[in-house]
Formats: sequence, C-alpha cells, structure tokens
Amino acid sequence: MYKFIISIKKEFLILLNDKVGLSLMFGLPIALVFLMTIIQDSAYKIINENSVEILISNQDKGTLGEKLIKLIEDSKAFDIETDNSLNKENTNSELLKRDKLIALYIPENFSKSMENKAELVSKKMLQDLGLSNNATTNNKQVNVGIIFFHDPVLQDNYANSIMSLIYTFLGSVEQTLMVEKVYNQMGIDNPKSLEKTILKNKIEIKKIVATTTHNVPNPNSTQHNIPAWTIFAMFFMVLSLGSNITQEKNSGSFTRLKTTPTHYSLILISKMLVYIIAALLQVVVIFSIGKLIFPLIGLPDLNLPSNIGAFIVIILLSSMAAVSYAVMIGSIANTPEQNNGIGSISIMIFAALGGIWVPLFALPDYMIFISNLSPMRWCLDGFYILFLSDGGFIDLIRAFISIILFIIACQLITFGKLKHEKLI
Amino acid sequence: MPPQICIDIKNLSKRYKNANYNSLDNINLSINTGDKFGVLGPNGAGKTTLISIICKILPSTSGSIHFGHKGNIKQQIGFVPQDYAFYPQLTPIQNFEYFGALYNLDKKTIKARTNNLLSVLGLEKVSSQKINTFSGGMKRRVNLGIGIIHQPTILLLDEPTVGVDVQSKHAIMKLLDELNQNGTTIIYTSHHLAEAEEFCNSIILIDHGKMIASDSIENLLIKHQSKDLQSLFIQLTGTEYRDV
Repeated sequence: MYKFIISIKKEFLILLNDKVGLSLMFGLPIALVFLMTIIQDSAYKIINENSVEILISNQDKGTLGEKLIKLIEDSKAFDIETDNSLNKENTNSELLKRDKLIALYIPENFSKSMENKAELVSKKMLQDLGLSNNATTNNKQVNVGIIFFHDPVLQDNYANSIMSLIYTFLGSVEQTLMVEKVYNQMGIDNPKSLEKTILKNKIEIKKIVATTTHNVPNPNSTQHNIPAWTIFAMFFMVLSLGSNITQEKNSGSFTRLKTTPTHYSLILISKMLVYIIAALLQVVVIFSIGKLIFPLIGLPDLNLPSNIGAFIVIILLSSMAAVSYAVMIGSIANTPEQNNGIGSISIMIFAALGGIWVPLFALPDYMIFISNLSPMRWCLDGFYILFLSDGGFIDLIRAFISIILFIIACQLITFGKLKHEKLI
Repeated sequence: MPPQICIDIKNLSKRYKNANYNSLDNINLSINTGDKFGVLGPNGAGKTTLISIICKILPSTSGSIHFGHKGNIKQQIGFVPQDYAFYPQLTPIQNFEYFGALYNLDKKTIKARTNNLLSVLGLEKVSSQKINTFSGGMKRRVNLGIGIIHQPTILLLDEPTVGVDVQSKHAIMKLLDELNQNGTTIIYTSHHLAEAEEFCNSIILIDHGKMIASDSIENLLIKHQSKDLQSLFIQLTGTEYRDV
C-alpha cells in the first residue's frame, strides 16, 4: 500500500511540475468556456431576447397601415424605426445603411386594397347566406401587398418566422375589417362587442419545455458550454498524461522501473488515479465558474441537475473515459511529439463531431449519425440528459454503456500494446 | 572454502528482432559472490545487452542464467544504467523515496538510507533541489544512489562514471569499493580501462557478441603477456573501428 501511495505522490509531483500541461488542462478550458459562453450567449440573446430592429415606411393613405404598425409595436418583438420619406426603391438600401435586419414598405393603397378585399368577401358571404341579393360585387380587386426586405445575413427560416408573425398581425387587421364590413352591410353600427369576443376567445398555445420532470431551467449557453468544455478539458489531458507515458517509456527511469520488483500496471494505475483526480478538479473549477462567476458578469447562472448521484456517476465515467483514452494514446505513440499530434488532432475531431463546439442539432443528418462515433458525444449526452431534461439513472443507461465499453476498449488496447512491446 | 557462484550463465545468445546476427553469441560465464567483475569490449560488442539480460530487462533468445541467491531476484539486483534513470523534475529525496518504495522498503528504512546516501554521495546540500538543475557528476551520483538504496546483493552498473569529473568519479568508485567490501557482487561495464584494471578482479572481454577472454585480470595479463589492460584489449580486439 505504501508503494501505491508513493507512486501516486510521485505522479502528483510530476503533474505539479508540468506547468504547460497544467495550463492546458485548466487555463485553456477556462478561457474557452468564458469565450464560447459569452459569444453564444450574445447570439442566443439576439435570437431569443433582443427585439428585432425593423425599419418601416408607411405610405398608406388610410388608417390600416397605422393599425398594422400599432400591432407590430404592441407585440414588443420589434424595435421600430418609422421613416415615411422612404420610397419602394431606397428602402432596400436604407435597411443596410441603418444596420437593420428587416424593413417593411406599406404601399399607398394598402388600406384601400384591404377594405376592397373585405367588402368583396363580406358581400359574397351575405349573398351565399341569402341575406343580401345585391349582385353588384366587383371581382376585380387591386391587390397591393406589403414589401418585406431583409438583411442577407438573416437565415431563411428566421426571416420566414418574422414574416409569419407579420402575417398574423395582418390577419388580425383583416379579420376585424371583415367583421366591420359584414355588420355594416347588415345595418348594425357597432360591431365592437363581437370584435372583442373574437379577440378574447382565441385558442391559446401553451409553451412547455420537454423534460422528464418539471424542475428544469430553460436551456441557455451556460447549460451547454459548462459541461461541453469540461468534457473537452478532460479529454485534452491526453497531451499531459500521454506525454508523461511516452516520456517515461523513452527515459532511463523506465529501464530502471523494469528492474524493480514492481509491476508496471501499479505505476499505470497510479498515473490514472492522479489524472482522474485532476479531471474531477477540472469539473469543480469549471462548474464553480459557471455557478459563481458567470452570474457576476451577466451570463446565465449554471443550474445543477437535481439527480446528484447520477451527476457524480457521469462525471466519474467521463473522467475515466478521458484518462483511458490518454493512456491508450500514450502507449501507442512512440514519442511525446507523436502523442501530442495524434492526441490533439483526435480530440479536435471528437469535439467537432461530439457537439462540443456546435450543438448537434445544427449539424446535417449524416454528421449527426457520424457523431455517434465520438466518445465526447456520449459523455455530453449524459450531461444533457441531466442538465436539460433532468433525467435519472434509467435515462442515462445508453450513455453509461457506451462510455463503459469505450473505457474497456481503451484499457484493452493499452494492455495489448504494452504487452506486445514487452513493457509489462 | 571454494568461491560461491553468484551468477552462472550457460550458452547465452541474443538476437534482436529483424537482426541477421547474434548480439550475444553462446556466452558461458560464472561470476562469484563478492567479485568485482568487469564486462569490457568495444562499442557494440554486446556489453549492455548482457547486463540487460542479467537484469531481466531483455529476454534471451537461448541459454540460461542461474542465480546463486534464492528469493525474488529483482529484489536482490541493483541496476545503474548508462542513461540517467530518475525523474529530473523531482528532488533526490523524492527519487530515493519513490524507487525505495518500489523495492518494497518501508518509510522508516527509506528515510534512514536516504540520509545515509545523501551524506555518502555529497548531496546533502542539494537534497531538496530538483535534479534537472544538477551538474553531470551530481546526476551520476544520484543515479548510483537510486540503484543501491535497497542494498542489493548484486549490483550491475553500465558505465557509471561516463562524463563525470575526477572528484565525482573518485566518490563513485570509493562507494563501490565499500559496497563490495560489505558483500555486494559488482558487475560493471566501462570504456575506462585503467579504471577497470584498478577496480575489477575479474573481467570478460566481448567482441561482436562473442566472449574472447574471461579470467582474473592478473591471469589474463600473464597469459597474453600484456603490460596492462589497454594493451591486452588492443591485442585481442584489434584497432578497427566498430562504427557499424
């Protein structure tokens, strides 16, 4: 036991002396977690929280253009700048000049066109119901549409969403106008009560985040980046631990180790244990930053999952997977340079595939399929199940099995390689 | 009382993977307990290979090695390789503690032997400094200290004095003499023939993996009518370079 304790002490001292390795294990991920969360949080806020800046040129001679603008304004989803001096041609260029994402051009005959359309429909409706025999409906309508401009950086689906929102407002204006026209044609002066009834009795859509329980915070950039970059930091230990192994294999001390009455597996286990402790320390440091420092600088607070037991297990398994991978690369590589090359490139690929840099849903289908090959994805899936859907052990079984199989595979390859080279 | 055999080597050969010649070819050798035994030869002769097989770092291709001592032979062998075999990021104390523990010594014994070694090797003042700040001579002394912390009965040294100053060489050789007087069998390789002649009582001379002579230095000098070990060495191995 004393031998084991001293081996752990030696590995710990060597790690403490490895300033570059420590900065890669702690400094780099901390910098990345800050940087990526700030960047993604800004993007998240643009989409989810900030109102969309819109430039409106209202050339309408009637009142419906104003009514539409009022509805857009009341929605609080838009930051409106109205400039009625703009014509159809220069609205486009002004949108770019004034750094807006969207511009609306409401044409001169907008109200007239809407009213004509409403009148036509209402007459037709009364006629069909046998309440009017006036056959003088004018089927020739001038359809004067609104023009929607958008910045080319705006993605199609986002632009379509905004258009749909404006269609909704337009529909609301149309609906009210239609009721007015029907009532007018029937000789009823005040259709306001019906208008209010229609508005009050809209079918509501209830928005719920899909989770397995009911105590989950909304996903945000912190909930993604803290676990994601912690996993990245764990796997990036391949540079420090892998180099440690290759350096030792190539040094005279390894020759001496082979002459001692101690099996190399004890030394390897000591190394793994020290680096698992280092990985747990990474979790503590990075998660503390998310919990304690992020709120102080205006970033979303990190909400820890309610199932702490499952959380601890996924942390332990992830750190064991990272350490096993590092040991495997260290045993395969012949030199520290080889280790660093293979290690860093493979980690970058795993991270890119595993949804560390870009959330998986943003990847095309075939990449999502390929991402199943990344151990970082299995680890991240585990964290997502806990952080975003508040899952428990049952929900984590698939992630657990994948990670455990990965650990076993890495350990077997390491054993096979060291045995083949007669190092153990 | 006849000398007790410490290591008995029979028909030992070694061929490395993909090599088309034997690095060691049918070596037969007996080393007695208490010997100061020199393994000599030109570069590439097979000295390090022989020592590595004795230490169980390398397996032999054929032949056998029998040790006179019973028990776990790894516990009884001390090895001082030609390369620095320690962790330069650590201090001498930390290295002694680590390797001492790997040789199954307890904490108290390690502490006592560490203090003794630091004193004998003149490393007391730098015992808490990292070894990567040390001179070549100091590193050689640490290298030796680690090899003897478990007080081995057989000590194998591969060129222990290469690249060190006269003072360090003197300290190392003096310590080896003291160990030998206390019963440790010493097997050592060196290119310093004068040093070997002064230190060893018996030698083996190897060239191209083959044993070309083995006896006490005295007998060999008489037999080959050589004035010293260097003359004998040139006489038996020639003056050709061993670059390939």
